[in-house]
Formats: sequence, C-alpha cells, structure tokens
Amino acid sequence: MRLATILLFAAGAAWTQPRYDMLLKQGHVIDPANRIDGVMDIAVSNGKIARVAANIPVAEARKVIDAKGLYVTPGLIDLHAHVFGYSGSLLPDDSALPAGTTTIVDAGGAGWRTFDEMLERVIRPSKTRVLSLINIVGRGMVGQSFEDNVEDMDSEKTAAKIMERRAHIVGIKTAHFGGYGWTAIDRAIAAGNLAKVPVMVDDKIFVGTGRTSKEKLLSKLRPGDLHTHVFNDRQLEIVDRYSGKVQPYIAEARARGVLFDLGHGGGSFLWPVATKAMGQGFFPDTISTDLHASSILMAESDMPNCISKMLNLGMPLQAAILRSTVSPAKAIARYPELGTLSAGAIADIAVFRLKKGVFAFKDAWQHKHLGEQKLECVLTVRAGEEVFDLEGRGYPEWDKAGNYEVIR
Amino acid sequence: MRLLLLFALLIPAGAQEIYDLLLKNGHVIDPKNNRNGRTDIAISKGRVAKVAQGIPAAHSRRVVDASDYYVTPGLIDIHGHFGSDGVNPDHNSLRSGVTTAVDAGGVTVANFAAFKATVIDHSKTRVLAFMPGAPDSAWIVADVAMKDTIAGLRPGDILTNIYGQNMPSLADARKRGILLDSGQLWFRVAVPALKAGLLPDTISTGMDKKSLLLPRATMTNVMSKFLAMGLTLEQVLERTTAGPAKAIRRPDLGSITVGGAADLAVLELRNGTFAFLDSGHAKLTAGKEVRCVLTVRDGVVVWDSEGLSLTHWRDAGPYSNFK
Repeated sequence: MRLATILLFAAGAAWTQPRYDMLLKQGHVIDPANRIDGVMDIAVSNGKIARVAANIPVAEARKVIDAKGLYVTPGLIDLHAHVFGYSGSLLPDDSALPAGTTTIVDAGGAGWRTFDEMLERVIRPSKTRVLSLINIVGRGMVGQSFEDNVEDMDSEKTAAKIMERRAHIVGIKTAHFGGYGWTAIDRAIAAGNLAKVPVMVDDKIFVGTGRTSKEKLLSKLRPGDLHTHVFNDRQLEIVDRYSGKVQPYIAEARARGVLFDLGHGGGSFLWPVATKAMGQGFFPDTISTDLHASSILMAESDMPNCISKMLNLGMPLQAAILRSTVSPAKAIARYPELGTLSAGAIADIAVFRLKKGVFAFKDAWQHKHLGEQKLECVLTVRAGEEVFDLEGRGYPEWDKAGNYEVIR
Repeated sequence: MRLLLLFALLIPAGAQEIYDLLLKNGHVIDPKNNRNGRTDIAISKGRVAKVAQGIPAAHSRRVVDASDYYVTPGLIDIHGHFGSDGVNPDHNSLRSGVTTAVDAGGVTVANFAAFKATVIDHSKTRVLAFMPGAPDSAWIVADVAMKDTIAGLRPGDILTNIYGQNMPSLADARKRGILLDSGQLWFRVAVPALKAGLLPDTISTGMDKKSLLLPRATMTNVMSKFLAMGLTLEQVLERTTAGPAKAIRRPDLGSITVGGAADLAVLELRNGTFAFLDSGHAKLTAGKEVRCVLTVRDGVVVWDSEGLSLTHWRDAGPYSNFK
C-alpha cells in the first residue's frame, strides 16, 4: 500500500511537473508598459516572467499566491536613494525590499575613486538591484569640503569609470556644490557627454553662487538630464512664491526634455510647494525617495509613501506606477529591461494593498497632511524569488504543514 | 497678608513645570512599576518628569492624545544583528517601538571600536552589544541544540532561539537560573511548548539580514505572534521591557520612572485578520496585531506614523522660505 502510494506520487509528479515556479493569482495588475490595468494572473519561471493572462490554472504552478484585492506592479525603481558614501546611507535590502522597491539607484554616494569599493561592499552582496549615479566628485558624497573641491571633479576619469562599469553605473550626479559658478554642473555634463549618460542635479542655490535655476534648466541641462528635489523650496522656485503659479520656465524646460524627479528626502518635500504645483497639474516625471537615515523615519519617504503622497495630491494610481517603473527605467536607459511585467523580463514584482481610511503623511519639515488612501507593500518578488511576504500569502498554515523544515 | 501671598508664590514646592511633551490619557502598562491603567506622562529635557492623571495639556509645548493607544516603556530587543552584515537598527527598531537594541554575536574585542563608530554612535536607537567572553556580564548563546553549550552556562546567562527547530528539554536550564530568550521561533515548536508552560523570560526578534525580510522579524511582529499563541499583552510587555532590562543588568532601562530616560512606545492593538510567518516560513493566522504608532527616544519623537505629535501644514504658519 505504502509503496503504491509512493509510486503514484512519483508518477503523478512526472506527469504534472508544474510548468511555473510561482503564480500570482487574481491581482489587479498595473503594468503601464503593456497597457495592462485589470485583474490578471502572472506566472513566473526560472526567475523570469513566464506569462501574464486572465486565467492561468493553479495546477501549473508549484507555488500559488492569492493576490485578490491587491495591486500587482513591476518591482519599483527608486531613482534616488543613498546606500554608500553619504553619512546617512542605508542598507539596500532592509530598506528597499519591504517597500516593493527591487531596483535602487544610489545618487552620488560613490565617485570614480570609490566606485569599486561600493561594487564590492554594497552592490554585489545585495539582493536589491543597486545601480549608481556616480558623483562628479571623485571621492563621492563624503562632506561639504570634498563636494566643493573642483580639483576633484574630473570629467574624463568619471566617464572612464562609467564606461568600465556600464552594468552598474547609469549616470552622473552632482550635488551640494557650494562654490561660485557652474564648474560642478559643467564638468558633470561634460562627463555625461563623454559617456553618453544622463546627469542628475541637486543644486544648492546659495546667494552669490552666480547661478540661477532658470539658466540651469534652460541653458545647461540637456534633454534627459534630471532635476531632483522638485518640491523643495531651496534650489528652485518651481512655484513663484508671490503669485503661487508654476514658473513659466519650468514648462519650457520640460518641453526641452529636462526631467523633474521627486527626490523626497529629509528636506525636499514641502506641502505648500507640492500642493500648489500638483494642483496646477505639474506632476514629477519620476517618483523617488532620496531615502536616507533622516528621511526614512519621521518623513517616511519610502516608495509606497511617496506614491501615497502623490495619490492624495491628485495623481491617479496608474500615473504614479508609471512614474515609479517605466519612467525611471527610461531615464536611466534600462527600459524595457526593467520596469515591466513583459513575458521574458526579469521577475521583479511588487504587491500592494491600497488602504482606505484617514492617514497622516508627513513632509520634510514634519508637518502633516491628511489623506484618504495609503499604499502598503505586502509582498515583493526579486528575480523570481519571494523575498518579502508580510502576510505569508505564499506559505501554508503551520498546523497543516506537518513536521516542516524551512518552506520555500 | 499680601506678604504671605508673595512668599507662597516663591515657594518652589508649588511651582509648576513646563513640559516638552505630554502623552495624554494613554493606557499605560509599565510592568516594573506595576502600572496598568490610564494616566498621563510628562517629559522634560529628555527625562520622564511626571506620571499622573490630569496633567494640564496647557503646560506642555507638545501634546499627544494617546486615548486610543497603549503607552509602554521603550521596548528592549536583546537579540539582533546590526551593521553592514546585519540590519540598520534605527528604522527596523524605532518603527517597532524598540528604543534599546542589543547586538548579539557580531561584536568582538577586535571590532568593537569600528562597531561603535559605524553603528552605536551613528544610531538614534540605544545600541548595546553582547561581547563573547566579557567579564562580569551575561553571555548570550544561540546554540540551543547543543547540550554541552547549555551545561556551560551560568545562572543569569541567556539561552536564545529556544523555540528553534530542534529544541531540547530546557527544564534543567530554567531551574539553574539560565534565562530563556525567544529569538528564532518555529510555531510547531513554540505552540506546544507554550501550552506546556515554557514561557520565555525575554522576547526578542533575532533580526538579521534574512529574518527581517522573511519571516519579518520585527518586535511588533514577534509580539503579535506571542499574543496569537496565548500570552496576554501584559505578559508580552513584561518580556519586552522589564524582563530584558533585568537580563542585561540595566535597571535604568525598561520602565517609565520619574527622572529616568524618556524612552517610550505608543502601541495600537488592532483587531482584524492578520497572518504571521515563523522562522520556517509557516503561517499563523490571528485576530489581533500590535502596531507601533509613535516612539519617543530620550524625549524626542523619532517615529510618528499617525502624525499624532505633528501640526497640520495649513495650521503651521507660513513656511519660512515660502509665503
């Protein structure tokens, strides 16, 4: 009898070997790249998206995850985070993956002198895909005196490092330059021209720097370059502080192809600015966190919260997912490799609940805004592996699992 | 008469204090001080200034209405793994109400200076460490499966991961005064053990790079599991405040005591359907969940998911640089 059962099992396994490793069942899929916005099943096999279709039989998958009532999106891409060099740097996996972020772009932590150290210490050991916008400062984002030192801003060496490490470096960052004139931005753009990559600019406009946001956006930045921290008040008067209107040169810059990145951070998202700009229909092109030690706690600037803030200021969910997947992938020339749920793509997937109620959202200056919807990440898949599962959706009840060992 | 009145006004005993922060009307559970009921907590200069009912809201610069919540001493997690090979203590601890987190296993005499510079001095969380072999201190040992290991422990030493995959009998260890800490947890081991009366002395997360993601080893998650397995909220809080403070011989921590550091957690006990995973990735479905809505560390609000201590931006006056 026992032998018969074993034989039956073995035979059964041979006949019905599941085609898929994982099946996300009945979630509301938002995949802007493929114009999908509705209930769909997603099958994953060998770390890749195998199939997206309306009714994939559960028998075809080894593991079935019920996603009914939840949103399923491509793994989010956070275009502006800090995991190396900068003093407030975080660890990629414990900050990104529980937020549904499967790709983070470190914005300027490493320069050409320090990038290889970042590769060994951060990029290679992380489950999260970590990419880099390399700092025009050779030593990276290690403090004001270094970031002001134009002697350490070498366009050729920066471009050479990018070309050597194309798999990991997707662009250039210039940030915090407190000196006079355009040297930092000019050298970053020169490196960008040599390596054919975009530049992300976080420009401190101090009084007496000889720079204006208008000139920067209209004459310096190239189409595809990124202006980050769009809703702070410090570097760019995106909203005229007297009339309350979005500046005309902003629209002009956007028409030229300059991209505006959220870059929430610990000082760069203010309710009066965001509310006025979004109220006039000015949405950021890419949603990013500028996640670091001073923004992750009180301001909660992780991706689901940044998206929630956008939703509560009038951006539709589909538009917010577009700006957290396809748009950042395009900005770093990684589309359609990243940011989609196309069959054959790497299976980076996020699953969210859109909660309804009254929720407080906090800006960089620790004032709150009340909103009625909040996005919460419940499950994350990275390269086909279920790396985060808040509610155990992919796992059995313990009292029905027998004398279990670690369940995969 | 007038002179007398003047004297009365000058007497300091009758003086009133201005507070930095006041937690109003929360259900305070402070096992060490045997408090379990509604009261106010006033904080001044990073210290607990007063614990009493009816402290006037007008006497504090910031007031949090804690009516819907439990207020407890800042939680103590005696088993975590921090730093570049572990996890970040701040956002993984403070979000869960943990204000003191102890690194269990990574720190040695050789690397302590680096650990202090990169983790301890860099964190808002009070980060402490067990160091193997340090004299006059408790040791923490994770190797529950090893009989020899247990035999080598002294009273006051701590055995962690007691509900691990292959738990031996721990009756002798407990009799000898060895402290039992939860750490890694398998429901197939823990549920019968708790039924048989083997409660932990301390509840900890054992959080590391892996367990933080799956099963999600945060303190509120672990506390929720113990509630689901039948412990009362009071039993859970005893084992996450006063219990661990005693285990690491830090009587200054783990309670809400006037004059003591103002480390506090504001917790919500939510009803609904929730599910939690164990270290073997098996699931327990439960009807309650503990969530941390606000954390105070040395008197400073460091986590405030509901914005309880914050002003709405429209009421915040003109932003200094933006009219």
